[in-house]
Amino acid sequence: MARTFRASVSIALAVLLCGAVAAPVHADRNKARTSVNRSKSVKVDSNRRTNVDVDRNRNINVDRDRNVDIDVDRDRDIDIDVDRHGCCYYGSGWGTAAAVATTAAVTRAVVGTRVYTLPPNCRIVVANGFTYQQCGTVYYQPQFVGTTTSYVVVNSPY
Amino acid sequence: MKRSSTLQTALAIGLTLVAVTANGQPSAPAVDPAATKAIEGMSTYLRSLKTFSVEAATATDDVLDDGQVSTNTAKTVFVVQMPSKLFAETSSDRQSRSYVYDGKTFTLYARRAGYYATVPAPATLRELADVLSDKYGIELPLTDLFLWGAPGWGTGEITAAVDLGPAEVAGTTCQHYAFRQPGVDWQIWIQKGDFPLPRRLVITTTDDEAKPRHIVNYTWNLAPSVNDAAFTFTPPSDAHKIVLAAISQ
Repeated sequence: MARTFRASVSIALAVLLCGAVAAPVHADRNKARTSVNRSKSVKVDSNRRTNVDVDRNRNINVDRDRNVDIDVDRDRDIDIDVDRHGCCYYGSGWGTAAAVATTAAVTRAVVGTRVYTLPPNCRIVVANGFTYQQCGTVYYQPQFVGTTTSYVVVNSPY
Repeated sequence: MKRSSTLQTALAIGLTLVAVTANGQPSAPAVDPAATKAIEGMSTYLRSLKTFSVEAATATDDVLDDGQVSTNTAKTVFVVQMPSKLFAETSSDRQSRSYVYDGKTFTLYARRAGYYATVPAPATLRELADVLSDKYGIELPLTDLFLWGAPGWGTGEITAAVDLGPAEVAGTTCQHYAFRQPGVDWQIWIQKGDFPLPRRLVITTTDDEAKPRHIVNYTWNLAPSVNDAAFTFTPPSDAHKIVLAAISQ
C-alpha cells in the first residue's frame, strides 16, 4: 500500500514534471543503418515521437485514472525521455539544462529548452515569416531536428 | 629452386589448412572478384540513368534500450532527374515526409504536422546527400541509389564478397550477392540481363549486438513521365514554414 502510494506519487510527479513529454515512447539506443556507402550512421533519430495530441491526452488520463496500477517501465521511460531532451544533438551542456528546463516548463519556461510535444491550448502565430506556437504566455519555435519535429522555447517574437 | 618453391607452396597450403581448422573459418575473408565486379557493373549502370522513378517498400529496425528490436515499415516514392532534381516521399505509420530538391533549394515537408523547412542546397544530389547528412542529420531515402558509382565511390571497404547464386525477386530473375564491410553486412539482389538494377537490398548493422536490419524492395520505372513542377515545392495553403536545425556548421 505504502509502496503503491509512493509509486503513484512518483508517477504523478514524473508526469507533472515532464509536462508535455510524450508518454509511452520507448527510448531507442540505435537504428539500423540505411546505407552501405556511408561509414557512419546518422545519429539523429527521426522516429521517436510523433503526434502530439494523442500522446498528451493519453498521458493525462493515465495519471488521473490509473494511479493504482503502476507500470515501472513507464516511469523509467519518462525519465529516459527527459534525460534525452535536447541533450543529444548539440554536444555537451544540454543534458542538465534540458532536465531542469523541462521540469520548469510547467511553471516557468526556459528559453532554449527543446521539447517534442507542446502543452495544451497552443495557437499558431506567424512573425517575420516564421511560425511560432503560442501556448499561454510561452512561445515555441517549431524546428526539424533531422526529420523529427521539435519545439524550442523562445522569447516573444513580437 | 623449383623444389623450394614447391615446398613453400606446400607450406603455405598447410598453414592455411591449419588456420581454417583452428577457428572453423578461413583465416582471410574471401572477396570473390566476380561479386565486386557485379556491384561495379550495377553502379555504372545506375549512373547511366538520367531520369528514373522507384517505389520502395522498406522495413527498418530500431533497437530499444533493452536490446529488443522494433521494425518500422514504410513506403517511399522516389523520382530523380540526375544530377540535380529529386522528389521523394516516405510514409509510415509514424511519419510522412517529403523531400523536394530542384538543384538550388531543398525542402523538407511534414504533411501531417503541416510544417515545412527550406534551405539553400548544393548543385548535385551527391553533394546534397552529404550536406543533409553532415549538417542536418538527415539521411535521404534510398540514398545508396545515387551514391553507388558516384565520383570517389569504390568497393575498397568490402572485406568479404560472395556470389550466392540466382534468386527471384517479385518475378524478376536476379543474382544474389553478400558482402561484409566495417559495421555492416549487406546483401543485394541484382537483376540479370541488360538492366542490372538492384531489386532488393538487406543491410545488417553488425556493431550492435541486436543486429538491426534495413530491408528495401525496389520497383523500378525507367521511363517515368515527369515535369519540372514535381521538383519545386509549392507550400499548401495550410502549411507553415519552420526552421531546419543545423546539427553542425
